Amino acid sequence: MKSFIPEIGCSIPRADGEAKVSGEEKYATDHYGDGLLWAGVRRAGIPHGRIRGLDAGQAKNLPGVIAILTGRDVPGTNRQGIVHKDQPVLCTDKIRHCGDPVALVLAEDRTVLAQALALITVDIEPLPGIFSIDDALRPDAPLVHEEHSGSNVLLAATVDKGNAEEAFSECDVILEETFTVPSVAHAFLETENGIAWQEPDGKIVLVVSTQAPFRDRFEISHALGIPMDRLRIIGPYLGGGFGGKDGATVQCLLVLAAIHAGGRRVKMWWSREESMAAGFKRHAVRMEYRLGAGSDGTLHALKCRLYYDTGAYAHLGGEVMALGMEHASGPYRIPHTLIEGWCVYTNNPVAGAMRGFGVAQVSFAFEGMMDRLAEKLRMDPLDLRMKNALQRGDKNGAGVTMTHSTGIVSCLEAVGSHPLWKGKEQWMAEAPPFKKRGVGVAAVFNAMGYGRGLPDSAIAKVELTAEGKIRVYCGVSDMGQGNATAFFQIAGGVLGQENDAIELVQPDTARTLPSGSASAGRTTYTYGNALIQAAEELRRRIIGRAALMILADTVDELELLPGRVKHLKSGREIPLNILASVMPPEDRICISQFIMPVARDGLETGKAFFIGFPHLLFSYAAHLAAVEMDELTGTLEVKAYLAATDAGRVLNPQSYEQQVHGAIAQGIGYALCEEIKLEEGRILTPDLATFIIPGAMDIPDMMSISVETCETSGPYGMKGAGEVGINGPLPAIAGALAQACGIRVKTAPLTAERILEAMVEQQTACERKPS
Amino acid sequence: MNRVLLPKNLPELWSFLENEPEARVYAGGTDLLVQMRARCADNLVLICLERIAELTGIREDEDGFWIGACTTFRHLLNHPRIREQIPVLAKALSTLGSPPIRNMATIGGNICTASPAGDTLPPLYVLDADLILSTQSGERVVPLSGFITAPGKTQLERGEVLTQIRIKKPEGYRVQHFEKVGQRKALACAIASMAALVKTSPAGVIESARIAWGSVGPTVVVSPDAEAALTGKTLSPAVLEAAADLAGKAMAPIDDIRATAVYRRRVAANLLLRIGT
Amino acid sequence: MIIRFVLNGEETQIDCAPDRRVIDLLREDFGLTGIKEGCGSGECGTCTILVDGENRLSCLMLAVQLEGKSITTIEGLAGENRQHPLQEAFIRCGAVQCGYCSPGMILAARALLTENPEPTREQIREALSGNLCRCTGYQKIVDAVEAAARAMQKQKEKAG
Repeated sequence: MKSFIPEIGCSIPRADGEAKVSGEEKYATDHYGDGLLWAGVRRAGIPHGRIRGLDAGQAKNLPGVIAILTGRDVPGTNRQGIVHKDQPVLCTDKIRHCGDPVALVLAEDRTVLAQALALITVDIEPLPGIFSIDDALRPDAPLVHEEHSGSNVLLAATVDKGNAEEAFSECDVILEETFTVPSVAHAFLETENGIAWQEPDGKIVLVVSTQAPFRDRFEISHALGIPMDRLRIIGPYLGGGFGGKDGATVQCLLVLAAIHAGGRRVKMWWSREESMAAGFKRHAVRMEYRLGAGSDGTLHALKCRLYYDTGAYAHLGGEVMALGMEHASGPYRIPHTLIEGWCVYTNNPVAGAMRGFGVAQVSFAFEGMMDRLAEKLRMDPLDLRMKNALQRGDKNGAGVTMTHSTGIVSCLEAVGSHPLWKGKEQWMAEAPPFKKRGVGVAAVFNAMGYGRGLPDSAIAKVELTAEGKIRVYCGVSDMGQGNATAFFQIAGGVLGQENDAIELVQPDTARTLPSGSASAGRTTYTYGNALIQAAEELRRRIIGRAALMILADTVDELELLPGRVKHLKSGREIPLNILASVMPPEDRICISQFIMPVARDGLETGKAFFIGFPHLLFSYAAHLAAVEMDELTGTLEVKAYLAATDAGRVLNPQSYEQQVHGAIAQGIGYALCEEIKLEEGRILTPDLATFIIPGAMDIPDMMSISVETCETSGPYGMKGAGEVGINGPLPAIAGALAQACGIRVKTAPLTAERILEAMVEQQTACERKPS
Repeated sequence: MNRVLLPKNLPELWSFLENEPEARVYAGGTDLLVQMRARCADNLVLICLERIAELTGIREDEDGFWIGACTTFRHLLNHPRIREQIPVLAKALSTLGSPPIRNMATIGGNICTASPAGDTLPPLYVLDADLILSTQSGERVVPLSGFITAPGKTQLERGEVLTQIRIKKPEGYRVQHFEKVGQRKALACAIASMAALVKTSPAGVIESARIAWGSVGPTVVVSPDAEAALTGKTLSPAVLEAAADLAGKAMAPIDDIRATAVYRRRVAANLLLRIGT
Repeated sequence: MIIRFVLNGEETQIDCAPDRRVIDLLREDFGLTGIKEGCGSGECGTCTILVDGENRLSCLMLAVQLEGKSITTIEGLAGENRQHPLQEAFIRCGAVQCGYCSPGMILAARALLTENPEPTREQIREALSGNLCRCTGYQKIVDAVEAAARAMQKQKEKAG
């Protein structure tokens, strides 16, 4: 490959591409080592119960078993959790879901490990389980957490503005509907895993597939009682994350195992089935909506009740619901809103962060309401959205004034002027036999960052190495979204160096600095801003130190060029390796912190949220789906897809499109086939043969239009592009289905079975109607 | 540890089977090894059939094809004569699993696994395929239609191996149709499938119809009533709907994680309507 | 037992348990960690290897089945060259995100292009339908295979 300066705005190839296509890249799974031990977990297999006893005698005697540990062997608080510390590393008394861990086994190899795990018997007294939101909310419901405020409600909250109850009396039209969405799995291809060992000096090193290495260190320290300075967490590139590796998976278990491994390396790698049972999921949600508008389509009042099933532990449940509630009224101007939410504990698998964090769910509901309203008022669905779309200066549904880039109108305009929208009548009319066609749209948005209550901060560190190269210490993980490449471009752009002179260090608590989690569409924005500051400081330093060497009386005559500093007047050059050799190490490193701005409105609502509410910055998108439905089978196929996205300025068009495409594809899966099915807390879809994600033949070619606003607070004007795209497909496809055949499905996913059943009902209803 | 034997020819296979009567036999491994993974199997003897030359390959004669039981789906799909002469089978093969699965899995394996959702079974039923079951001492020919007795159960006896599949060319069947309904386009287990052979006169009158459904009963479902209802008629929507109603009565689907019985019955019958297009 | 086979062009032999999964043997004993595991049951394609040029799933093969075969893994795809045109195209076309499916995808595409040097987009999608990807939405992967096919055709024309 030819050398190039990785500049901003160009589709430079990914910095991690070469190592990944050659098979050289070492993910966490690819670390082994001499004398490797394998660790595994015996899980409860029962959704709710009390541990009466555990017999590991037979397992212990198995040759090759090194140790069997239970909750009693956990040295610290034995509690993990990002906001509420309610999840044991190993359960000691109570079981709250089937995937709860009861014993940890270390063995010489995987065969012995599997045999030992099978030989452990756990005696659990079953308790009546809570398997649905309604179960959880019954006044006499058994408690999932006895110590939690006497109910199964993890968090109840209200977001409101104006007076919704009264405002409905001023509406010409009022619509009501209840929507439900199931729990789904991230289905990253690299399941949860890591490797850990204790160094001779007692420090513990953990290499782990994680989205939040610095928070992991805190969690492990708390749960296992190990001082933070005794822990080193290394987070290589991830084989996908999507939110599912934002939180404790193997971390505490592996460090606990390492303490008992006598300095040997210990590896834990969850099978797909274990990942399904014990890994985090997207929340299943029930959404009861009431929307009121004027006869001209002007939205006036919204009332909704949202119920999030958070499963057995709090994890990020309250925060996921908070973001869902903040987005529950869509990217629209609605003067009166009353949004109520309940996030409840159940004995289902633990729900948490997943791309579109609570928002992918409500997008189905608010856009479903917009389609119903358009139908009722006989309005064009795009016009209705355009009419109500937020503009800068408006207050959103939570009462936050949109003071930053707000591009939803431009997104809708881009869709409206596209041939797929303009030519839709003809395309629909050309449907082949037994097929019905429809075209739907959706307007969606997604907040960036942590929101108020927690500083959204990143600390960039950049070094001029002793060899005269640039090294960026990335404090935030790259799970595939391409932020490392953006950092490569920022460093390259600011410092004007060529690609082979720039090196990236992936997160490592011993080398990089705390920069938060890879989540919330925040990584490039927050770390990128910090990196610009650090790189600019380094640039000034390099030029300043060169001025001393060259005896220039002003830095203005000096320029930093690839590999050297040049004195423009004299033509003299100092190679960077020479310059670096006279700079002391601390002089060659620049560090800078950036904290994301927050909303300044003095809101009197959302007081129940401890963190994560409200947000200031949003990305927007308008999506169009063209679908074909088979009347004989009910099968829905997406034939064409268009996304117009406002994620600010685009730093790398190719990386940007990767995010848009990937989010659409996951969204199509969410719309058509993905569903964790449960029976009394047990997963009936335990693997990739039953939890169905789309394959190469299920996703059409997609079109992406970038509606570039300039987000002045962002690095070079950018905003996060990773999340917003997943919110569009479900509502756009549901709208397209309704266009195709008049069926409005209110339960996701839109499986062939649901559609065919609805068609039969529709026919029966037609036949029953008196003529 | 499990022992794995890799016989190179049939005599070697027979001697292995004689010495290890409890051995599990596999070809592509795409079913057995998945089942074993779930069960943590240990101390088994496995016999892999992939290297036995007598069991692979396709031979055509005047009336039809002899197919070695361990012929992979890929091999079958790439065979121009199979594609040309029995498209009903080729279409089913092209929906089976995924390309790497088709590179490994074999037609004999699909038959002996005896899954109600086995993708090759409906076409092989309508083609009246015969199976050659062999032992060290001889062989017998059984029709596929009676071979599978229940999900996962066949008439194979101890020491007996499915060695060949005999398919006659469906002469004169202008319509050769296969359709599968799954949860996605590839890597999909059939929720329902249907294979159909229809012979019509120049005037469009149905002279003979052979139809079989997968995933709507413990084994492949056929409906002589539906076939009779089609015979002598033309392929009109009304005729097909009447036959579909009759076919629905022959089905005994179950609810499972992929679909309900109600949907299976409805969609399987509906598939018949597609023949008219 | 002793198993002899050709691994990435080199004659190899190894003493191992006959029922060892091929994926474990190649990753752990040969250090070929470019082969990934995503499901262990043939549903994801990340463990793809080429067996005599055909893409197969190393999680559903037992060691004894390697006997006498020629195996290519992602590490051996480029051979003497720095990169295979498919690898080059995957980077250039943006077909790589998390990269965990990439080795399997590239090998499946290699098998396709051997058999069909000028596939349509639909044929590419079908050929890759046993390899799941959760990041890209597949479009740029299809773009990359198309681009590589063109590059390989050009190479062939030059050579011929």
